[in-house]
Amino acid sequence: MKSPSTLYAGSALVISAVLLTGCASQNSQSEGEFAPSGNVVVTVPFAAGGGSDVSGRAVAAGLEEATGLSITVENREGGAGAVGYAHFQGQEGRDNALLAAELALVSLPLSQEVGFDYTSFTPIMNLGSDYALLVTAGDSEFETCADVVEATRSETVVTAVSGATGIDAITISLVEQDQDVEFDRIPYESGGEVVAALLGGHVDVAPLNPSEVAGQLESGDLRALCAFSEERYEYEQLADVPTAAEQGIDVAFSQFRGFIAPGGISDEAREYWIAAAETYAESDAYRSYIEDNMMQPNALFGDDFVAFLEETNADVQAALG
Amino acid sequence: MIDNLILGFQTAATPENLLWCFLGVFLGTVIGLLPGLGSTTGVAVLLPLTFAFEPVTALILLAGIYYGAQYGGTITSVLIATPGEAASVVTTIDGYQMARKGRGGAALAIAAIGSFIAAILSLALLMTLAPPLAQLAVRFGPAENLAIMILGLVIVITFQGGKLVRGAMMAMVGLLLAAVGVSTGFGEARFTFGDTNLLSGIPFVEVTIGLFALGEVLHQIRVGAAAPIKTSFREMMISGKDVRRSLPAILRGSGVGFVLGILPGAGSTLASFMAYGIERRVSRNKENFGRGAIEGVASPESANNAAANANFIPTLSLGIPGGATTAVLLGAFTIYGLQPGPLLFETQPALVWGLLVSFFIGNVVLLLLNLPLAPVFAQMLRVPYGYLYPVILLTSIIGAYAVSNNTFSIWIVLVFGIIGWIMKEIDLPMAPLVLGLVLGPLLEKALVQTSAAGAGNLGILFTSPISATMLALGAALVIAPVVIRRARARVAARRAAERQASSFIDS
Repeated sequence: MKSPSTLYAGSALVISAVLLTGCASQNSQSEGEFAPSGNVVVTVPFAAGGGSDVSGRAVAAGLEEATGLSITVENREGGAGAVGYAHFQGQEGRDNALLAAELALVSLPLSQEVGFDYTSFTPIMNLGSDYALLVTAGDSEFETCADVVEATRSETVVTAVSGATGIDAITISLVEQDQDVEFDRIPYESGGEVVAALLGGHVDVAPLNPSEVAGQLESGDLRALCAFSEERYEYEQLADVPTAAEQGIDVAFSQFRGFIAPGGISDEAREYWIAAAETYAESDAYRSYIEDNMMQPNALFGDDFVAFLEETNADVQAALG
Repeated sequence: MIDNLILGFQTAATPENLLWCFLGVFLGTVIGLLPGLGSTTGVAVLLPLTFAFEPVTALILLAGIYYGAQYGGTITSVLIATPGEAASVVTTIDGYQMARKGRGGAALAIAAIGSFIAAILSLALLMTLAPPLAQLAVRFGPAENLAIMILGLVIVITFQGGKLVRGAMMAMVGLLLAAVGVSTGFGEARFTFGDTNLLSGIPFVEVTIGLFALGEVLHQIRVGAAAPIKTSFREMMISGKDVRRSLPAILRGSGVGFVLGILPGAGSTLASFMAYGIERRVSRNKENFGRGAIEGVASPESANNAAANANFIPTLSLGIPGGATTAVLLGAFTIYGLQPGPLLFETQPALVWGLLVSFFIGNVVLLLLNLPLAPVFAQMLRVPYGYLYPVILLTSIIGAYAVSNNTFSIWIVLVFGIIGWIMKEIDLPMAPLVLGLVLGPLLEKALVQTSAAGAGNLGILFTSPISATMLALGAALVIAPVVIRRARARVAARRAAERQASSFIDS
């Protein structure tokens, strides 16, 4: 709904920082000669509180630690991310701007006329991947994803998807293409709504990220049938969940999270941010971000991240048809 | 239950926590006073600051900010007709009229008292009945949600009294405006004319600021600036009579708010509108509604506070955020290394009960802080309007910019300011327009989902008992007044005829 502004957020933060401790100032080190000009702003193209916001704030805190700069977060939500990315496009050439990127960077340009794609920006770092689990109610008759696919051949199976071009919709499309079946889809707008729909019996199955359902899986209210990942999860709670491939469904698709700089920045600026990202990737803060959100670590920097985006772009294009 | 409460008090009621709670309420009130900034933003902005604390202390601070910000939004709604959040739009209708009559202090005080009573009642229910209520809430699927939205719209349209057609017209305009942007379910852009800013639709906070704040200022300039309000400090205070009169409204508002608050998605905006609409029908003082009735402030304010607390039922017992702010708080749980979900009550009793008790403490602090301050805030209106207007204009525009850090928002405020002024001049109600705009996307989502669930057939609306009942209620609201009026007219006509007949015989 609403998002913090630099002005008010800044002043509120200053007031409270003074109230709290009278924090000591940082500004310890600066690598090499180059340093970004002015205060660094991380744009989050989604509302406060969501997965993008969490990753944007983790990146801001981690880079603050790595560089000694002061870094603030700004939410510019709207249009499934389009508003934030469009704003970021207007920041071309600025070396003190970053954006917390995710799948929308690739899926938006493929589904809407937005005037940008991933080549309009300078990718810096991929943090990790978030895969979907196919989840069903605790008392459901389904035991495996193969059961679900089999059921679609004789009856209607209703699945929830949040977002028309998000990871849910893409994963379901990939399953449909792989198995030549069709699901009935009910659109929702957030993982929380989808969990409620599963608990209330309004949908039969739903793809969800592990962090969205960990509590329900533990309590037994919901069950995970399979994970759409290449390999099984190593997290204790998820180690027993088989991959879709083990059940004969050859689908693995992940939502990446990372951060990018605007297009047209200098080579020094790009190198600077990549170096800062590498320092961050070694930190405890990075590890706890990945683990708290039950993601798979997949730190990629600069050109490797670009190559990864090219691959993702091809996958999404195929899935969205 | 008692053990749990004691545990909660032991965890929460330390001097240090009380201090942070107090600070949180204060900071929250300041944030809420700024137009465009509400509780969601306040909590999100100050969240990182709390990482240094123990989880319980941090959550207490955040709860303080949450309640403080909600109340801050009420202050501006009442004094300068600038609601900070959609949930306090209805409060402006009677609150601002009270302020113009020199009763701003009483309006603010009853809002604080109403919120407090609503909070205590809803927290008591939350503590005793959260898990079964949450189970009930998830039964509400797309069809039931669609029926609730329709009922809500009907209540709001019909509360315009004699202006039924105008209310319906404005609600439809609101719904039409809500159609702008990326559509639910299909992800297609509608009516955006290639503008990226419009992809997210027409933002209702900016529309509200424009219609109410700017529209009011323009209207006042045309009718000639009103004299500053001259009342003694004593008159600014609330009287015992005011409280007694408002009590039924507070209780009804709390009930409506609580029920709607449990349902994920319906939220406190609809709750405040519905509570006002119901109060306007059942109150003994109904003819004064819209002209500064204290019940018209008490009821929506109680409702939105009760809804805000009831929002925590799905959050705490199922791990599903009930609203935007609870979504941010849920995010905070994970940051503190806690796993939100159905097991939270069992695995983290100290934390959950500490949090519930801190909600309680937050409300007590809010009342203690704001009841004495209400007349003081109301003194602001002694400032001649010649000075006040520029300040209102400036804060509205800064507030609008603050919503999304985007100059596009300022244009929205300006355009809707002019629309609001015209609407005032030709006497069109603004509240239904705002509700239409807020409900539009929710209504559309429920409609798309219902139709998807019924494979294109909306029949499930009538086969689900809950939604069928609600639709019947909505239909009754529209038809009943007409039927009653006709019946009365017929009785009156018969009596007149009888009288005529009898007088004829007499003579």
